[in-house]
Amino acid sequence: MKSHSSSREWLLQALFVGPALLVFTIIVALPFALGLYYSLTDWNGVSEKVQWIGLGNFRTLASDEGFWDSFGFTARFTLVAVVLTNAVGFALALILTRYLKLRNVLRTIFFLPNVIGGLLLGFIWQFIFVKGFAAMGNWTGLSFFELPWLGDATTAFWAVVIVSVWTGAGYLMVIYIASLTNVPADLYEAASIDGASSLQRLFKITIPMIMPAITIGLFLALSWSFKTFDVILSLTRGGPYNSTQSVALNIYTEAFQNNQLGLGTAKAIVFFLVVALITMVQVWFTKRQEVEA
Amino acid sequence: MRKAIAVFLTMMLLGAMLAACGAANNENAAPGATGTATQAPVKNATIKIFQFKVEIAEALDKLKEAYESEHPGIKLNIETVGGGSDYGAALKAKFTSGDEPDIFNNGGFNELNTWQDRIEDVSDQPWVADTLDVAKEPMSKDGKLFGMPMNLEGYGFIYNKDMFQKAGITNTPKTLTELKDACAKLKAAGMTPFANGYGEWWILGIHNFNVAVAQHDNPMQWVADRNAGKVKIAGDKIFEDWANMLDLTLENGNKNPLTTDYNTQVTLFASGETAMMQQGNWTQVQIDKITPNMNLGVLPMPINDDAEKNDKLFAGVPSNWVVNKNSKVKEEAKEFLNWLVTSEVGKDYIVNQFKFIPAFKSIEVKDEKTLGPIAGDVMAYSTAGKTLSWNWFNYPDGMTNELGAAIQSYVKKRDRASMFKEMDKQWDRLAKK
Repeated sequence: MKSHSSSREWLLQALFVGPALLVFTIIVALPFALGLYYSLTDWNGVSEKVQWIGLGNFRTLASDEGFWDSFGFTARFTLVAVVLTNAVGFALALILTRYLKLRNVLRTIFFLPNVIGGLLLGFIWQFIFVKGFAAMGNWTGLSFFELPWLGDATTAFWAVVIVSVWTGAGYLMVIYIASLTNVPADLYEAASIDGASSLQRLFKITIPMIMPAITIGLFLALSWSFKTFDVILSLTRGGPYNSTQSVALNIYTEAFQNNQLGLGTAKAIVFFLVVALITMVQVWFTKRQEVEA
Repeated sequence: MRKAIAVFLTMMLLGAMLAACGAANNENAAPGATGTATQAPVKNATIKIFQFKVEIAEALDKLKEAYESEHPGIKLNIETVGGGSDYGAALKAKFTSGDEPDIFNNGGFNELNTWQDRIEDVSDQPWVADTLDVAKEPMSKDGKLFGMPMNLEGYGFIYNKDMFQKAGITNTPKTLTELKDACAKLKAAGMTPFANGYGEWWILGIHNFNVAVAQHDNPMQWVADRNAGKVKIAGDKIFEDWANMLDLTLENGNKNPLTTDYNTQVTLFASGETAMMQQGNWTQVQIDKITPNMNLGVLPMPINDDAEKNDKLFAGVPSNWVVNKNSKVKEEAKEFLNWLVTSEVGKDYIVNQFKFIPAFKSIEVKDEKTLGPIAGDVMAYSTAGKTLSWNWFNYPDGMTNELGAAIQSYVKKRDRASMFKEMDKQWDRLAKK
């Protein structure tokens, strides 16, 4: 009897978890294992000969300045983008939970960039920065528009930040809206009766109450920013002079442009370890901040 | 990140599966159907062609109809993916996903080394004897020929003859000093001399940098020595001279060169806003779309005042057709390539539809007007033997991109020493395999 029910249990579990597990194994776990293998070889991605070179690739990448520069860029970019995306998303959510007439329309508009792919957004914004801003500059004479947008390291950096924040903020806005509407109104009422100002209500009630959403928001923005690839590929292609090359783009370049797939996967493994570590620390940290009502 | 890893690791997985399938197929085919591919061509075959020249995509579709009606049973399946490195990545994806094309493109030299395991030897083909010697070089290895040159192309400073005349420039500049004077005259007449598309890494890293490499007495040897680390860019007089020319274009160019892309550059020039641009005969079609019948010519790109050495254009083979060694229809594929350059229809397409400068002695350009004035100048320089070679196919993989980045950085910071140092450093890194 007992064995019967446990085999039934197994069958049920296999039924529900099986398909997902199978797909996960085929498109994530297995390729990951293969990647581990290729990272220990000198395969160029084309040739029929694959030669085992042990940890050679990891030694090479340790002295590859371009790789570490791209880490530097990615770190700076992530820091700025995570803060700004969440701040803008949260601000939009605060505004759009008020009773505004155009609330639903505005929510849709701010969410819209998420529906268009990053690659396309990059091309659209490239046009805006190069042609649109130049035209605005001619028209208004404002020096902001006459900067060499995408033409030097600083403006290119901020261009990538602007596009990423603009894309990501709408998504986080939806998460924050969902969370804000779940904060019980009686808490605010009680606080108002006790004489709390609106700022006090924001910091003492709203933010602690939506901490789970902030965890999610930070986690999402962190992972987006760290692995950012498509926007940069279409907006700047890592340029000018490799100043906006993210780690993901550096890996892609190494594997497919320099024809060093082995070295590229080795970089990908290192990158994976770093991202995993950072996100684990971040989730652990924000989890501790969450409170129950 | 996880998505990126997943995507390209999946491709590797598929690659492994493909390798297994490929092996199985060979075994099955061996006993039963020996030699079907080498004897009479199979009826009802589909030849998959994967190419990168966007400019000829439409004409190729027409050519496909012509070929299919002439050869019943044969189907051509043509796919075009444009633009330098994107083509390479897409081609690799094709191979690893099992959807191998039968005919694809290869730049030759170093790229031939990378892809050699996949490319069929075509030394025995009938068209080989008609191929121009210079056009055979990229795909020659160990005395064998591995591909058919697509065409010849050349570049230099394309200039607007009408604007030159208006500015009072009577003889065409052939040295750096003469070019400097011409720029001064153009500026005095209120015109911008150069359209610099330096936002585009390849304009700098491929074409502009090659000017210096090609000016060496034996460019091939220089590249080989640079690959081996025997010579350096820093301290080389020719590169110093070349940087002078680069400076001249920067001092006399449009503003914000680093945000000017290829399209903008050609548009600036074709709409008459600038008098010159560094480009090649492939821009003719695009220029014609903006301003038809422009009065154009091509100037050499002088790096110093040695008139004889500098009066040359840079000509070469941009790409080659190659046949997949493991293709099931490789005989049909070879037959198609042969038809392309020997049949009247094929020849007509190459000159009149693709607007190619042919790489074959047997293909004549009857009327120079069909190709336009830019190609006309390139051909005139070629027949006079006044050409310098294209050398970037011999650099290590990815080097042209790094060169482009280093020169872009120079355009911004104007620090020669650090540009040369960066180039040497990247070359050492990428040459070490």
